[in-house]
Amino acid sequence: MFAALGFGSTHDALDAEQLLGDLGITVVPIPAPKTLGALCGIALRIELADEQRANAYLEAAGIGVTARTSIEDV
Amino acid sequence: MSTPSSTQGHAGDASSGPAATTIYLDHGATSWPKPTPVVDAVHEALTVYGGNPGRGAYRLAMATTRLIHESRRDVAAFLGVPHSRDLLFQPGCTEAMNLVLRGLLSPGDRVVACSMEHNAVARPLHALAALGVELVVVQADDTGTVDADEVERAVAEAPTRAVVCQHASNLTGAIQPVADLGDIAHGHGALLLVDGAQAGGHLDIDLSTLGADAWACSGHKGLLGPQGIGVVYLSAEVDPTPLVLGGTGGGSSESEGAPTVRPDRYEAGTPNTPGIAGLGAAARYLAVHAAEQRVTERRLVRKLHEGILEIGGFRVLGPEPTEVRVPVLAITHERIDADRLAFALDRNHGIAARAGLHCAPWAHRTLGTIDTGALRFGVGFGNTDQHIDAVLDALAALTRELS
Repeated sequence: MFAALGFGSTHDALDAEQLLGDLGITVVPIPAPKTLGALCGIALRIELADEQRANAYLEAAGIGVTARTSIEDV
Repeated sequence: MSTPSSTQGHAGDASSGPAATTIYLDHGATSWPKPTPVVDAVHEALTVYGGNPGRGAYRLAMATTRLIHESRRDVAAFLGVPHSRDLLFQPGCTEAMNLVLRGLLSPGDRVVACSMEHNAVARPLHALAALGVELVVVQADDTGTVDADEVERAVAEAPTRAVVCQHASNLTGAIQPVADLGDIAHGHGALLLVDGAQAGGHLDIDLSTLGADAWACSGHKGLLGPQGIGVVYLSAEVDPTPLVLGGTGGGSSESEGAPTVRPDRYEAGTPNTPGIAGLGAAARYLAVHAAEQRVTERRLVRKLHEGILEIGGFRVLGPEPTEVRVPVLAITHERIDADRLAFALDRNHGIAARAGLHCAPWAHRTLGTIDTGALRFGVGFGNTDQHIDAVLDALAALTRELS
């Protein structure tokens, strides 16, 4: 299982990808799953075990996660 | 494939003149040549970064998306924009100023503008005035510089939505007191909206402290990027109504209106990836070389200014040689029309300079040159002392030949 994080813009998603990657969290851009809502852009896939830490980093950096869902794989 | 030439098919051609432009002095219109990293980045964008940015998660598209993101970050850093999402890519400064003016001003608003504005500002303001925006124009002095005290008097006369001013003149090179205008505008509850077309790259700009609520710039002039790309910075205090609606890739596609988040809100449609890549490379180049380049430009434009005055018969518009200006210099001659000089410089000497009104009729009217126009030199990247020497020699010769 993974967490898929959705963002309000591609810009925010890339800021998040760079931030989390720099902090040692494995991040994989994926097509935004439909379960995230009406998003046509990208989402970021991270390990469930990293999600709490990732959310804390993103919040501290002012990058808002607009939606999240759990996925099996992609 | 052919290369540009400037010697074809005109009765006035000089048989002994150069076959093409050899000295480029129209940097006020667009910079040329470009630094090699800019050319390389455009080429790479067209040959390597093939995906549509923000339109897919596959690796080719993601690489292009990252390229745009990196370019935005580097241009924002060069201009002192604190949050890169507030730095928006636009097709050019004209489109950017249209967004700023038409997106922020409504019938019943009052706006105070400077009499030196380019048509990228003047024409949208005329259109807005026709819709019911009250337009007050403050006259600049005979150097093309607006007096901040006069702007304050105009702003204080009635509730004002915005002060609109260029950062620097495309005709005289005069630098406007933008920071003071920001204080004045904000002190009266108004916005400061700045056309930075002639300032970007030529001046050291820190948008985090300048005081502009919106600041737009061409990418292809002093910023040394390709044509077809420009930028606008919007502070958190302004939210212009987007003029262009369409697909934005990310975010919610089901909403009927524009996204609310930046930069998507103002960047509908597939972006100009080669242009943005080139502009990003230009910003990285300038981050290293701009200070040195500015010293060279100031020295060369002062040399040109003083040399022209020594020839005699010319009026140089704008500030004195010792004053700091952006590197454009416009002249008129007491007997020879500007268009004749420009044509002869091109055909007989291979020197590119621009005659006419420079899309700035307000500025020419301010300086009393609306009926004659002027000949404008724009100094910039790639120019040398030898270029200035050659122009001065050519002008001296042409004043003898054409008078």
